[in-house]
Amino acid sequence: MSKKSASVWTSIPFWRRSAAWVTGVATVLLIWLTFDTMGQISMGSDEDLKNGITKRIPAASVINYHIDYQFDDKRGHEVPVIGEKETFFGKEWSAEEAAKLLHLGKLTSQAKNCMNCHTLLGNGAYYAPDLTKAWLDPKWNDGTMTGITGKASKEEAMAEFLMHPSQYPTHARMMPNLGITKEEAVALVAFLKHMSAIDTNGFPRNFSQSAKRLEGGTHAH
Amino acid sequence: MWEACTDVACGNLFAWLNQGPLTLTIFLHTVVVIPMFFIYFQEKKRLEEGGE
Repeated sequence: MSKKSASVWTSIPFWRRSAAWVTGVATVLLIWLTFDTMGQISMGSDEDLKNGITKRIPAASVINYHIDYQFDDKRGHEVPVIGEKETFFGKEWSAEEAAKLLHLGKLTSQAKNCMNCHTLLGNGAYYAPDLTKAWLDPKWNDGTMTGITGKASKEEAMAEFLMHPSQYPTHARMMPNLGITKEEAVALVAFLKHMSAIDTNGFPRNFSQSAKRLEGGTHAH
Repeated sequence: MWEACTDVACGNLFAWLNQGPLTLTIFLHTVVVIPMFFIYFQEKKRLEEGGE
């Protein structure tokens, strides 16, 4: 059979097959990534915490542990480090209790529309401080906030602040009273503590440095 | 060329492929483009042998 001179570039079957291949690969890849992401963003279990397995999102019972924020040289940003056990509002919470508390905290954060002013995990506003790592703000630890609220522990100081924010002027734009009950305040603190233990790849950037530089003024909410 | 993975999910293929800017992109484009050469030459052969 004699060879004909032919241009593939004007051949419809070539473009049809190429398009089918590219679309097919993209479809398979996106479905794969969807399931892969679902695995990555699923919450860890209580067993993971007990066995020291690091999950991007730890179980709700992480509220029973000390959470530190340390600079990781290799990753080039700070990462949450889950440490020894510590009490939360004076007790240790079971996995079920912690999950329930966290759920109430999430619902409260939505009911009170925290995101209208604050940012949580990259969602929300910057009228008020970013709350993603609020639990790790040094102003809750160094005696400043426990001092002005007259509470013995960081979590109690946070709950007190949330119940009566307008009594504690920590920021030029003061937080209004939102009618948060004691139960809701405890749940919100649990929600914030859990959120601070989520590995957010260093978001928000330079949290510790800016917290220090702004002297808690912008972060201590 | 290969750096130790420092992500929290190092058992994951995408964590390994996404080591820096463009690494995942270059890999995926390679995967997509190489079979297109095969399609090209197959179509060329078909046309030369008197296809449509």
